[in-house]
Amino acid sequence: MSNFIKPENFSLILPYIELFQQGLIVTVLLAACTVLIGFVLAIVLAVIRMSNFQPFLMLARAFPGLFGFFEYDKQGNKLDSGFAYQLGRFNPFGFLATAYVEVMRSTPVLVQMWVIYYGVFKVFFTIPRFKMLGFISADRFIPCAVTLGLNSAAYLCEIIRSGLQSVDGGQTEAARSLGLKQMQNLRYIVLPQALKNILPAIANEFVVIIKESAVAYTIGVMDIMGAVNAVKSANSIIMEPLIVAAGIYFCLCFPASKVIAYVERRMRRGDVR
Amino acid sequence: MATYGDLIQVRDLKKYYNRGAIKALDGVSVDISKGDVMVVIGPSGSGKSTFLRSLNLLEEPTAGSIVFEGVDITKKRYKDGDGKLVKVDIDQHRQKMGMVFQHFNLFPHMTILDNMTLAPVKVKGMDKKDAEEKALALLDRVGLKDRAGAYPIQLSGGQKQRVAIVRALCMEPEVMLFDEPTSALDPEMVGEVLDVMKELAREGMTMVVVTHEMGFAREVGNRVLFMDGGKLLEEGSPTDIFEHPKHPRLQDFLGKVL
Repeated sequence: MSNFIKPENFSLILPYIELFQQGLIVTVLLAACTVLIGFVLAIVLAVIRMSNFQPFLMLARAFPGLFGFFEYDKQGNKLDSGFAYQLGRFNPFGFLATAYVEVMRSTPVLVQMWVIYYGVFKVFFTIPRFKMLGFISADRFIPCAVTLGLNSAAYLCEIIRSGLQSVDGGQTEAARSLGLKQMQNLRYIVLPQALKNILPAIANEFVVIIKESAVAYTIGVMDIMGAVNAVKSANSIIMEPLIVAAGIYFCLCFPASKVIAYVERRMRRGDVR
Repeated sequence: MATYGDLIQVRDLKKYYNRGAIKALDGVSVDISKGDVMVVIGPSGSGKSTFLRSLNLLEEPTAGSIVFEGVDITKKRYKDGDGKLVKVDIDQHRQKMGMVFQHFNLFPHMTILDNMTLAPVKVKGMDKKDAEEKALALLDRVGLKDRAGAYPIQLSGGQKQRVAIVRALCMEPEVMLFDEPTSALDPEMVGEVLDVMKELAREGMTMVVVTHEMGFAREVGNRVLFMDGGKLLEEGSPTDIFEHPKHPRLQDFLGKVL
């Protein structure tokens, strides 16, 4: 195999152009499924993390005599620090959601995919072998979309959280002082302002997912990289199909990121406090 | 004043941080009656803002009670007339306590009119048209009717604060809380905001005002509180406080600011 790029080698790719087309469709479909799964799960995670389900504090309020120590000290003052205070504020579901986010962000997506493909789907839910659109193997595509979705949910959840936190605390104070409830404050005051920070970041995440989906090839999803490998094994050339693959990825991602940058500029032009 | 009956009774209010290492409020007790214009003065870090923000529970007190219209809002539940335990709905009480902030806190993504009608429509269930009519009438009173369609960023600081005041008035509150309303303003804009507050006081609105404007305290207030170190050190009429201060800390403070 020669690793030098030879212009005439590009003609060897031509017979495989349909594979690249199919690979492109797989990649875009994979990214779309990922964002869909990821976004829904991210909202669920964000809501869980923001919920104030505090079982120990609920105990303290229901049985002040027995469990009051989670809220008040011996002098009857409200606690503001210490172990009992932390336990009172502990939200077990929120903790699990945070743990999930941190694990998914701190392990490689490749590892996650292999674990889910070999360790979960192969063992627990066997997907029948059938082809979607006539050329996508469902038993490989679905685990891959699920993994990427689970992974990007963690990132999207962080994006949502930081977006909500970026809104000035005075806004919430003003809204609550007018009598708006927590959910009304979120809906009418915080979310509309947070979306300015959240939307471009989510669109950006979409671009990242398009590129990251290339790992799908390692469990045999025939995406763009699958087409590269087909050319490689048939003709013993690697650089030329890689250049084509890189070109396709670039044509997907570069315009997308330019559009995002434009939208972001438009949004910045709006009101700052 | 007592003939109108007490509106708010604050008893032994405490706000501690780090288990009492820092005492932002250290046992403040005060009664606020309808029609009172109570001005709270004191050096920075004396707890006056914490005190004000505690009144509508933006700051959760460590201990003590705040009884507003007969309900202790620091508790989660209270006994109603029939002796039944009822949940305290703080959002209900906050509607009746208008608040004006140092940094205005107008909603930047809404027009002035929407800023004002949001709470009446969404919280009180008021008809959108009625709310707008009311908002426009209030804007007219502060001379900003023509800016109803503008966004907060298009307004000067003084205009923003006037809008913030009428936004709170839209909810027809029983009491207005002012947290250093002129401290973030250019000096030339302080007057226009104080004028609105003076008019409000003349109309009999109950007000609690944290401010560094000693002129306002003297002219408009009927009661002046002096706080330092989280404690209420002296309370009296403006004449008592400014002409015959008793506490040495107050004498020292006035000597520096007047």
